[in-house]
Amino acid sequence: MTATVDAGTRRVTTAKAISEAIAQEMRSNPDVFVMGEDVGPYGGIFGSTGGLFEEFGSTRIIDTPISETGFIGAGIGAAVEGMRPVVELMFVDFFGVCFDQIYNHMAKIHYESGGNVNVPMVLMTAVGGGYSDAAQHSQCLWATFAHMPGMKVVAPSNPYDAKGLMISAIRDDNPVVFMFHKGVMGLPWMAKNPRSIGPVPEEEYTVPIGKAAIAHEGSDVTVVSVSMSVQHCLDVAEELEGTTSVEVLDLRSIVPLDREAILTSVAKTGKLVIVDEDYKSFGLSGEIIATIADKDPSMLKAPVERVCYPDIPVPYARVLEYEALPTRDKIKAAIAKVTA
Amino acid sequence: MADNDKRVDFFRQMVRIRAYEAALQANYHADKAPQWDIGAGLIPGEMHLAAGQEPVAVGLCANLVQDDAITGPHRPHHLALAKGVDMNKMTAEIYGRETGLCHGKGGHMHLFDPTQHFSCSGIIAEGMPVAVGQALAFSRKGTDNVAVAVAGEGAANQGAFHEALNLAAMWKLPVIFIIEDNDWAISVARDTATPIKDGSLRGTAYGMPSQRVEGNDVEMIYEACKTAVDRARAGGGPTLLEIHTVRLWGHFEGDAQAYRGDELNEANERDPIPAYEKRLISAGLITEEEAAQIKAEAEAEVQAAIDFATSSPEPKPSDAYLHVFA
Amino acid sequence: MSETITFPEMSNDPEAEGVVATWFVQSGEAVKAGQVIAEVMVDKVSVDVEAPIDGVVTCLVEEEGTAKQGHEIARIE
Repeated sequence: MTATVDAGTRRVTTAKAISEAIAQEMRSNPDVFVMGEDVGPYGGIFGSTGGLFEEFGSTRIIDTPISETGFIGAGIGAAVEGMRPVVELMFVDFFGVCFDQIYNHMAKIHYESGGNVNVPMVLMTAVGGGYSDAAQHSQCLWATFAHMPGMKVVAPSNPYDAKGLMISAIRDDNPVVFMFHKGVMGLPWMAKNPRSIGPVPEEEYTVPIGKAAIAHEGSDVTVVSVSMSVQHCLDVAEELEGTTSVEVLDLRSIVPLDREAILTSVAKTGKLVIVDEDYKSFGLSGEIIATIADKDPSMLKAPVERVCYPDIPVPYARVLEYEALPTRDKIKAAIAKVTA
Repeated sequence: MADNDKRVDFFRQMVRIRAYEAALQANYHADKAPQWDIGAGLIPGEMHLAAGQEPVAVGLCANLVQDDAITGPHRPHHLALAKGVDMNKMTAEIYGRETGLCHGKGGHMHLFDPTQHFSCSGIIAEGMPVAVGQALAFSRKGTDNVAVAVAGEGAANQGAFHEALNLAAMWKLPVIFIIEDNDWAISVARDTATPIKDGSLRGTAYGMPSQRVEGNDVEMIYEACKTAVDRARAGGGPTLLEIHTVRLWGHFEGDAQAYRGDELNEANERDPIPAYEKRLISAGLITEEEAAQIKAEAEAEVQAAIDFATSSPEPKPSDAYLHVFA
Repeated sequence: MSETITFPEMSNDPEAEGVVATWFVQSGEAVKAGQVIAEVMVDKVSVDVEAPIDGVVTCLVEEEGTAKQGHEIARIE
């Protein structure tokens, strides 16, 4: 169920919205618990579990050793026995040390068992760059996870969606990979876009997994994006109001992908820009284009512009990193090109 | 000490498992001739049979109840049968039928029976962290159920084994780790992969009681497992048991086992079932006729399961798209 | 009735400067007692700052601006 955002709704960071969602579900369901590195008193490296240890203590907010295979596997085991763990993989880039548990077990057990065993688990993880954390700590990788069948993948761009998607994820009987971009968390120690703080209703509410949202209505061009990049797209769309009417489609979920929403918007505008901080080739942007090509390529009145991370590891130096990132300037240029 | 009824039951269960593995072996190969094609026949794909390892499964499961959990390896049949997984549904699954445990979705290495809390995985050692999680759930719910993770001696060199042991000891969880040391990880002999002779040292290293059990003797295995299971149920935390057993056949069906040389003959001498039969007959617990009767009953039960499987419908092709998500 | 909100004392070093990292409200907004109005940080440790009473808030320090511990950062009227 959705919740209305009144003028007086209090504003919080995305990090707080996430921890609040977890807290509310933990209060109403004793089977929900949290495991991960530094999720306890520290509150999560990126603030995703702030305040939870103080309220629920060490039996339900569990600091683990550095054993991703071990504790993600333990999350799977607890889930198959009916609990609802929220397990944090500190950086998505660490998936390499534990991906077997994720894609061969968490994602496949329901299918392999012919539907007889559920894995109602949330795997939450920090993604994204822009603050010089370099190649092994800055990736997005939603396409990598999306490519493997059996797990849902969500990535909110703002506090309201973050809370609603986390509640939906916890209640979902399927494994959900909840990817929060560090840049949308509203952390005090990282440069932030004001959109990382926003109105969030105090009561529980859900945002449906698998449904995109029109973050900014428009008619000249469709800009499809997800996660942090949505904030940049909105900045550009607002700047261009009066000149170009930009429709920003916030995917919110990568699996299931809201192909209907993509097709509806592109049918309306005929022009498509995709803004994706994940690697360009063999990923999400290609899948969005394929969605259109599969249905009706004549929908497109101009070639697609992809503002995506190039196929390079993330460089360290700021000038190099920002050469690669899908920045506002690049988004503006892409919109201009496509609508020329 | 197992009482006499229990000992006869150990024999009956081991015979049942051997009859099963032998029947599967025969049927698996029968329709792949003459040009052996792994993908051909009524049981396609890989097949890993546990002949020789029956004492581990039977000795362990005699200490377990329905709501205790087992995560098993790619060689799971002895564990599944000893645990109480339905033989008909298991066989139908191995034959890829709609009536199988997993409606044909999993096959021989991915048998899931949630009513028995039994699962297995084809990825070496990866069931160990999952068993830790099941134990975590049991202890959170306040039951005295235990989880058991079974893997081979090769698995003890995989990272997941080490992480699972450390976590289980740190959180003092009711989980038992069983290493079935059958001397071979496919074609790699244990002493070329593991520098320590006594793998139970690894449990000690991670802070849990630990024991290596020699002899592949169902009664000794029963006792060792009993101590571990009782400890876990009482809140005493995890145990590592390294149980020396024997792999009588190939790693997989189709494995020519040239690498075993003479050791193969020596291994056959260590077949635990004829030895146990002799022992029970000497002790006057069964007669030769009763032993033969037990074998005949086992073979009949197995044949009935195979008949159930082969007469079951295959899944519809469109079923492939079902059960990606709940 | 009005109240001043000062930057919390968080560091062992009383002279350490802090940052008002995030304002959750704007000057002129009505706030309730207990509402989190800002997140401040000293030495990489951050805390929430709550409004002590109901009223209208005036923010005295810019977002991401520095302030000394114990100094005024907002007023509620």
